[in-house]
Amino acid sequence: MEIRIDNLTKKFGDVVGVEDLTLHIEDGEFVAFLGPSGCGKTTTLLTLAGIYKPTDGLIRFGDRVVNTVQPKDRNIGMVFQSYALYPHMTIFQNIAYPLKLKKAPKNVQNEQVRQVANVMGIGELLDRRPGQLSGGQQQRVALGRALVKEPDVLLFDEPLSNLDARLRLTMRGEIKHLQKNLGITSIYVTHDQVEAMTMADRIAVMNGGHLQAFDAPDELYDRPKTRFVAGFVGNPPMNFLDVEVSPANGQFLAQADSIELPLGVERGEASAGHRGTVVMGIRPEDIQIVDEGDVRGEIFVVEPLGREDLIDVRIGPHSFILLADTEKQHRAGELVSLNFDMTQAQFFDPQTERSLLWHQ
Amino acid sequence: MTAREPLFDSAKSKADETPPSFQADLIEGLRLGFISILIALAAAFFFSGIVHPLFALGSVEETVMDVLTRLCLLALPFIAYIASASVARRYTATNISRALGLALTCAVILFAAISAGHYALNYGVFAPRPSLQMTLSQTEAGVRVETIAAGGAADKAEMQVGDVITAIRRDAVDLEAFNKRLSQAEAGAPLRLRFTRGAEEMQETVRVALVSDKQLNLLLPGLLFGLVFTAIIVFLPGHWAPYIALVGLLSPLIVGYFWVIVATFSYRTEGLVPLDSNDNFGGFTLKNWESIFAGNIAGLEFNIWPILMTSLAIAVLMTFVVLLVSSMAGYALSRMHFPGRRFFLSFTLILHGFPAITLLIPIFFVLLRLGDLPVIGDMVGFNTIGGIALVMVAFQLPLGVWLMKGFFDNIPWDMERSALIDGASRFRTYWEILLPQIRPGLLALGIFAFIGGWNAYIIPATYSIGSGLSNLPVFLNELIDETAPVDWNQVAAVGLFQLIPIFIFFIFAQEYLLNIYAGGTKGSS
Amino acid sequence: MSEPVAKPKSSAALVQSRRNALRSYLGAYGFMAPAGVLVIIFFLIPVAIVLYLSVTNLASSNFTSDLAKMEFIGLKNYQTLLNDQFARKIFFNTIFYVLVTLSLFNVSLALIVSLLTTHIDRSAGFVFRALWILPRITSPVVYILIWKRMMAEAPFGILNQFNEFLGQPTYNYVATNPWVFVVVVNGFIGVSFGMIIFTSAIESIPKDLLNASLVDGSSRMQRIRYVILPLIRWPLLFVVTYQTLSLLTSFVEIQLLTDGGPGLYRTEVWSLTAYHRALSNYFGNAQWGYGSAFAVLLVMIGVVLAVIYMRVFRFDELVAEPRVEAL
Ligand SMILES: Nc1ncnc2c1ncn2[C@@H]1O[C@H](COP(=O)(O)OP(=O)(O)O)[C@@H](O)[C@H]1O
Ligand SMILES: [Mg+2]
Repeated sequence: MEIRIDNLTKKFGDVVGVEDLTLHIEDGEFVAFLGPSGCGKTTTLLTLAGIYKPTDGLIRFGDRVVNTVQPKDRNIGMVFQSYALYPHMTIFQNIAYPLKLKKAPKNVQNEQVRQVANVMGIGELLDRRPGQLSGGQQQRVALGRALVKEPDVLLFDEPLSNLDARLRLTMRGEIKHLQKNLGITSIYVTHDQVEAMTMADRIAVMNGGHLQAFDAPDELYDRPKTRFVAGFVGNPPMNFLDVEVSPANGQFLAQADSIELPLGVERGEASAGHRGTVVMGIRPEDIQIVDEGDVRGEIFVVEPLGREDLIDVRIGPHSFILLADTEKQHRAGELVSLNFDMTQAQFFDPQTERSLLWHQ
Repeated sequence: MTAREPLFDSAKSKADETPPSFQADLIEGLRLGFISILIALAAAFFFSGIVHPLFALGSVEETVMDVLTRLCLLALPFIAYIASASVARRYTATNISRALGLALTCAVILFAAISAGHYALNYGVFAPRPSLQMTLSQTEAGVRVETIAAGGAADKAEMQVGDVITAIRRDAVDLEAFNKRLSQAEAGAPLRLRFTRGAEEMQETVRVALVSDKQLNLLLPGLLFGLVFTAIIVFLPGHWAPYIALVGLLSPLIVGYFWVIVATFSYRTEGLVPLDSNDNFGGFTLKNWESIFAGNIAGLEFNIWPILMTSLAIAVLMTFVVLLVSSMAGYALSRMHFPGRRFFLSFTLILHGFPAITLLIPIFFVLLRLGDLPVIGDMVGFNTIGGIALVMVAFQLPLGVWLMKGFFDNIPWDMERSALIDGASRFRTYWEILLPQIRPGLLALGIFAFIGGWNAYIIPATYSIGSGLSNLPVFLNELIDETAPVDWNQVAAVGLFQLIPIFIFFIFAQEYLLNIYAGGTKGSS
Repeated sequence: MSEPVAKPKSSAALVQSRRNALRSYLGAYGFMAPAGVLVIIFFLIPVAIVLYLSVTNLASSNFTSDLAKMEFIGLKNYQTLLNDQFARKIFFNTIFYVLVTLSLFNVSLALIVSLLTTHIDRSAGFVFRALWILPRITSPVVYILIWKRMMAEAPFGILNQFNEFLGQPTYNYVATNPWVFVVVVNGFIGVSFGMIIFTSAIESIPKDLLNASLVDGSSRMQRIRYVILPLIRWPLLFVVTYQTLSLLTSFVEIQLLTDGGPGLYRTEVWSLTAYHRALSNYFGNAQWGYGSAFAVLLVMIGVVLAVIYMRVFRFDELVAEPRVEAL
């Protein structure tokens, strides 16, 4: 089922939930809504589900405008963050509930519930109640209940945020796998960018009720269209620095106080066209500690992450986060030289926060 | 909540530090003691000096503030002892002699201060007492006057040493009775004494005087009592405090209900003591209980079982209707959008301010009209259980609607949304998904409603006059109205009979009552 | 398919959306209907009738159940009422009774009892609360009988028996302190409502929160002051409002205990007066019209107080907007 959202706005009184959202989702696509909490992801999802009435805009499932279609007639399945399992019903009754409401014959209900339960690996649990299950099992039941009515669209609202890290990893794989097998158009809301990056075909990044970018994960990472997207996607987050870009003997130079970084022609031209300072962004993995280099700084903090150390280097008033091999055994207070891989640097307009490189 | 731990914790982790000096602790104890004295005095002044005059302006003749003031003053020394002993209690576990020394020293100083205050203000043991200003002794002939204070009340009335008092007015007195009469007399009240002087019978009217003799030896028992009290406080295990407080607060009820139980098993009682026909202890009987089942009390014939069934029918019917109606309204108010929602919610609360009593007559008119309607009239009209139950349901609605709304508010919105997406209608969502989840709330409201229905008197009494429909409370009142003289012990037995089922019901259901504010898994957006 | 961005609302969609809204309102009114009908039949219509009666001179001597036949006398009842030399006293009696009983018993003692019973062994708490509920579930006749026996003069009175035992003089308590007994007797009934609401509110505070505060080093007293009391603010407000109205309208116990006496209206309260005037005897000269005027004023006092409470306590905040909408 193809989903087309045009100029969708949802306000609660004066509070803006989501504003002027336009998004076209292909049939069978897995789309993630990514953004910090309170940015309007859930609002958008619930508006799609028919729980909220859009203040403005159009929602189409296929060719059908569904703005005024009741939730039950939209044929969607939804998995909630809290799972929303009915505590007084057994697992069987929970999963069978949508079928019961459709007045499916008893034997059909039976068969379908068992089938879904087996797919989800909860065939043994059908007689229990939700309170007697672990978080992971409840999660599967919620998914089973969403799937049993063979929905055209699957909506997930932060389904994994209540699970522990290990379980989250397995469920991530399973959901992705299931979705690809069934080919159901899916929207997956999350504030965890790793989840979005690994699972989604395309990611809609939202902030403050506005769509920031809608692209494939690689695109978002390599060619972020706004400063917000650049900062939000990637972990640890991108370093930002106000620089002045000026031409210098055939090349370009990005300057901030004592820091001078040579810049390739392509990026240099795009950013030098802008008067005054621009915002330069560079990811931690594009900065290396080297034995000999032009830019020197002092290590302020070392945070061991296991395989790598997260290092905060101060150069004058500026601070850079970067990653280094644990074996190098860097210590706070150490003086080091840095090498910036400027072919990966991003540049943004400080006012509009749009990318100077990738914005048309 | 863990039980056991003391309610009155002493300050934390004092044990690790070097203990403060004895003097420092003493000063802290005294400081707490005097602060609580000031608080008690302030409270006493608030009641007698502010609240009482204010209401007196509105010509309310009350003595409540008086009693409260006296309670404050009575409690004042004890509060002071407890406050200062709280410092000493820090050492009860580690250093008993220090704890006791500290507390008792504080107590002595506080006692001295309070007594000095009493002395200065002529209060407490120094308060002026009614007196005739003569000393008396009991002799065989009567109460003999031993000494007479010169210029005192007795002297003015020209009483003489050696007079033997036999009666006040026409009541013969011995010394004990004489002193009792005197202690109840007000200043200036005339007491007409009959006495014999030599062989002569005489009468003289003596006016009662108020005398404060300020005898310091009266202080000693007070001091001893204070010291014992303080010592008990020092050793009292902290977790006993709430029990003692609870039993203390409950004591009037404990005594009262003890009496009513005794009374139902006896012919008559004086105070708490059951008596037989010769005014001796005894006179136990089962007749009060037997006659309930025998169906005859002082000539009033009845059959208790149909009355019981009517009570039950009203209560059960009412409970079900209250639950259904309130939960439906509560659901809509909590979960749905509609014009008038806010209005209805505040309006239902205001409805509670409409006294049932003032609406009795108009409702009587309404029921009369309802009774004229076909079909419905037979179910809910005048003189029907349905009609009575519905009226009482209406009066339970304010509480019911508010309680139910609160319970529905506690259920996460995702439940509702999930059900709607699964394809349920609003009614099925309410009936199949939400209602089962507020079972504790339904039980709580059910208990309130059942109690209300079971004990309902005014409404059944008003709307079933002469129809032969009567429930237990109506029957109880009939018993009082139609038997003369009323056998109150019999009435008490019927009252207890009515109380027992609902008390048992409450004991078993209490767990659910306490869930009024529980419920709901976790919040949702 | 790449249509141009459609204008948000076609007229067909608008019609559909209106229809949906209407249907959802009807659904809501369906849920409200049973309560609404009861309220209309047993509150609104009767209140209208009371209002009407209060401008008639209906009494048992000219009784009729036909509203049209009653004699209209305008505001005369109200005039009589305001000129009634005792109205002022009864009014202040009522204020006194409600304020004092509410603050001493229905709120304070209820709060103390629920705090105490939640700080002791759980099953002991159940026992104490069960005992506290006794006054509410005992038939008023018997409950008042108990208190009358408690306070009666010697040799029957229980208190006086204690006095005699201790060698103290005996008193006629009810005659000397009638208000004390009216307040105490009603207060002991009033404790249980607040006790149940408060206890359940305290029990529903997450245990983690309670334990955390102890771990943080606060004493039990501090925990009550800084954790428990702020968290039960709403139940507190509800109890204050609800019980004010309950007390305003309650009179049965006073009627049984003192019947407004001793002397002239010493413990008479407004609702009791309404009862005395309108109903106290069915076949004597019950003045329904005049009694209704009292009732109307009582209702007005109740409404004014309730509205003030709602303002002060911001009841509006309780009315959150529903989070499911009609499409
Ligand atoms: N039912 C509602 N009523 C009022 N405001 C709401 C409601 N739902 C969400 N909001 C507000 O809309 C904004 C977006 O919320 P939400 O969609 O839940 O964010 P997210 O799911 O991205 O964390 C927030 O400011 C939130 O407070
Ligand atoms: Mg959300």
